[in-house]
Amino acid sequence: MLSVLQKTTRPVQAARGLHKSALDVLKQPAPEDTVTASFGKFISEIKPQYLSPVALYRSKRMVLDSVGVGLIGSTTDVFELALQHCQHMHAPDPISSVYGRRGIRLSPTLAAFVNGVATHSMDFDDTWHPATHPSGAVLPAVLALSDMMPANSKPSGLDFLLAFNVGIEIQGRLMRFSNEAHNIPKRFHPPTVVGPMGSAAACARLLSLDPSQCSHALAIAASLAGAPMANAATQCKPLHIGNASRLGLEAALLASRGLEASPLVLDAVAGVAGFNAFYEDYVPQPLKSPSDNDNGHVFLLEEQDMGFKRFPAHLGMHWVADAAASVHKVLVGVDPGKVSPDQVQDILLRVPLSKYINRPFPESEHEARHSFQFNACSALLDGEVAVQSFSPAAMSRPELHALLSRVRLEHPQDNPANFNRMYGEVQVTLVGGDILKGRCDTFYGHWRNPLTNESLRKKFRNNAGVVLPSEKVERLIEAVEELDRLDDCGALLSQLE
Amino acid sequence: MLRKGITESFGAAIHALNATHLTDGVIHRSKRMMLDTLGVGLLGSRTAVFNKALMYSQMFVSEQRSSVWGRSEITLPPHYAAFVNGIAVHSMDFDDTWHPATHPSGAVLPALLALAETLASRPSGLDLLLAFNVGLEVQGRLMRFSREAYNIPERFHPPSVVGVMGSAAASAKLLGLSPAQCSHALAIAVSSAGAPLANAATQTKPLHIGNAARRGLEAAQLAQIGLEGNPAILDVANGLGVYYGDYNPSPMADSGAFRWILEDQNVAVKRIPAHLAMHWVVDAALAARAKLRDTVGTFDLSQIRQVTLRVPPSKYINCPLPASEHQARHSFQFNACSALLDGQVTVASFDRAQINRPALRELLSKVEVETPEDNPPSFDKMYCEVEIGSAEGRSAAARCDTFYGHWRKPLSQRDLVEKFSVNASSVLCPEGVEGLIDVVGNMEKVSECSVLGSFLRMTSNREQLYRTRIM
Repeated sequence: MLSVLQKTTRPVQAARGLHKSALDVLKQPAPEDTVTASFGKFISEIKPQYLSPVALYRSKRMVLDSVGVGLIGSTTDVFELALQHCQHMHAPDPISSVYGRRGIRLSPTLAAFVNGVATHSMDFDDTWHPATHPSGAVLPAVLALSDMMPANSKPSGLDFLLAFNVGIEIQGRLMRFSNEAHNIPKRFHPPTVVGPMGSAAACARLLSLDPSQCSHALAIAASLAGAPMANAATQCKPLHIGNASRLGLEAALLASRGLEASPLVLDAVAGVAGFNAFYEDYVPQPLKSPSDNDNGHVFLLEEQDMGFKRFPAHLGMHWVADAAASVHKVLVGVDPGKVSPDQVQDILLRVPLSKYINRPFPESEHEARHSFQFNACSALLDGEVAVQSFSPAAMSRPELHALLSRVRLEHPQDNPANFNRMYGEVQVTLVGGDILKGRCDTFYGHWRNPLTNESLRKKFRNNAGVVLPSEKVERLIEAVEELDRLDDCGALLSQLE
Repeated sequence: MLRKGITESFGAAIHALNATHLTDGVIHRSKRMMLDTLGVGLLGSRTAVFNKALMYSQMFVSEQRSSVWGRSEITLPPHYAAFVNGIAVHSMDFDDTWHPATHPSGAVLPALLALAETLASRPSGLDLLLAFNVGLEVQGRLMRFSREAYNIPERFHPPSVVGVMGSAAASAKLLGLSPAQCSHALAIAVSSAGAPLANAATQTKPLHIGNAARRGLEAAQLAQIGLEGNPAILDVANGLGVYYGDYNPSPMADSGAFRWILEDQNVAVKRIPAHLAMHWVVDAALAARAKLRDTVGTFDLSQIRQVTLRVPPSKYINCPLPASEHQARHSFQFNACSALLDGQVTVASFDRAQINRPALRELLSKVEVETPEDNPPSFDKMYCEVEIGSAEGRSAAARCDTFYGHWRKPLSQRDLVEKFSVNASSVLCPEGVEGLIDVVGNMEKVSECSVLGSFLRMTSNREQLYRTRIM
């Protein structure tokens, strides 16, 4: 590996006073041996036969969920704004379709942008471990690109799924280069770091770029990556996914036109940061191409399943919501009817330490989706958190505010800011002195306790049904279910409008 | 650590600054920067990277169109005009450089010109000057939030961090956004910042400036229609601060005791289309060459046994055997040897044929690079030394502390205009070249700055023929 090579050449230089420029030639790895080249090769050479039944099953669930949250997301203000922006700045272009808007079509990268914004607009989209929202960065780009391809040569459903899985796989591989990536982020919003890379990879795959072009697509995308956490919990956050999708597609298109970038972008070169600019610790690993590997390829998705959200809020909220819901159940069991703030003296939440999801009095829906306090109190009041919990009416309820003012947070040492290991505890002290406790280690929807297909479809129907008539909703479910058997992914595309 | 109100103060300042704040000094310096930027952009419109970006950008349709510099028959949607023109400006690494280090003009001017051509309000030359300076000022202020910014970068390419902020600020100014909208424009822009340094010395580097221009403009337009980001984006540690190891922001005064950074800190204008540090090593190499020639009577390459370069430590400009024009522009070794071989380094020095000359490759193999402790990686403090050792044991050494064109030794007005004329004439007809010199020279009196667009499209007949040839 590169770092080892560098270590052995330095003492040699000191000992023998070797001409430095000769050593520099030694130090450069052969182009084929770089991590960057291995990724390019993988993307170019992977084939549909390497998609196992598990990978197919799980990724189709992701496609369905992602389309559903994108469709309901097309009713949000931020989506409207993004769409308006694209329509002002650009003329209509009869190429790529837009979620939930019949008759509106945009240039592919712009469609990827607005559909990505829709997908993340309510923080309802899937979450993986290490943490990112993988599908929203990839699916809109793959859809837009498929729309761009001529009607008589659309990718098959299997090619479509392969491209999608490549986009997910690359994101997973990149996140494993860093320990920092395993915890709830503090600096860069992960979808902005790995999202464009995944989108670029997926689009490069769909465009059938050669290994070198695939590498360059990744390198070009790296220069478009990275947005800070400070914009999470603002109206700007959904654009992080929108841009990831759009810019990855752009990178692939530029690479297809011959644009070149750093051949070492994923490798760790001292003194010149590449992709490692976004991480404090970074140890890259090459990716084996299936052609070099007799055992084929095991996609990360097969080893690490996806988390799907049951309500539109940051993943961390799901633990406290489930814990609070169990307390709610006891409360209404004891005293049937509504839960009243008058019963409650104190609410203690034991949660991981993470500043951007600790908001005692959220002022916008975006902040509310990133507030342990808000989600716990909503679940305590209503028995669950749902789409409607973030409406202006629900957010301004006096009972909710009363409860919010009684919340304290504790950050136990054994509760790490890590989606694989955290828990949520809600402890309610009643006015009479009784203490009720609820704890959630694994919420329903987490990868350890995945949504059943029935639950997933119910979520999809609730979401898609807001925007599409029910026959279309059912046809979409069928199209996704059969996706790997479709000769032409156009059958899926046409159902989206 | 939260310091209240820094982002707010920037928004307020961007909104409140007006033409009366522009001083003669700042107007003079910024007009020089505008002219230089237009010239390098025009020359850059003939590069491969520009062509690729142009082809890509033609995929997009829009009703409003903006000029593509150096093209008479193509227009683009404003965002993509900003994109390709920004790429042109940085395509040959020929554009201006500031201290702390960034390329300030290329991120701002293309966005402003593209925007100006679409505004019904028809901004004047003075409006353009003001917005341009706002864009520069914001970049300068942001870089001063970090000690890290003062040195040659290692992690993020500075134009990708502050350039998009400058473009957002300048565009917000030209659009006349409210103070709150200006703040949000900055917040939205931060989510578009930050490209890693690894893509410097590659064909993608120019896109850093092109994207800074484009995405800053976009940020301002999104803010205009009501998108909001974090109102404390400059204040908090996990906002703009994520791009720096150390980050200490401070507020910006809006009018009161306001002084433009450009007033006190000028830019460097390049004489060679290469990374700024190359300018030191070229001047030193030329001086050493002259010394050796004066001592020996002639300058004989075959007599050279060794060439030692003493330069600041910086990995991405230390390239012993460049394989592309992009690498060559970022190679101490290449630029020193070109200077020694040819007695000058010019635009033509980076042609493929020139890069691959056997005589040059041979000379390159004799180069050793040292990084003395007293040579810091800072454009304000570095030096370069070139020592030539000849076969008979003679040696000649020269040192350059300040190259001609550096802010300590700025190009004369004559030489600046000459650089512009040579660059612009490669693409425009004489009327276009003269027209631009005239308009920029009188910018503060020009009633509609979009007139620049029409001159930028005045390609020569030769160029028009070239364009229609099948390649």
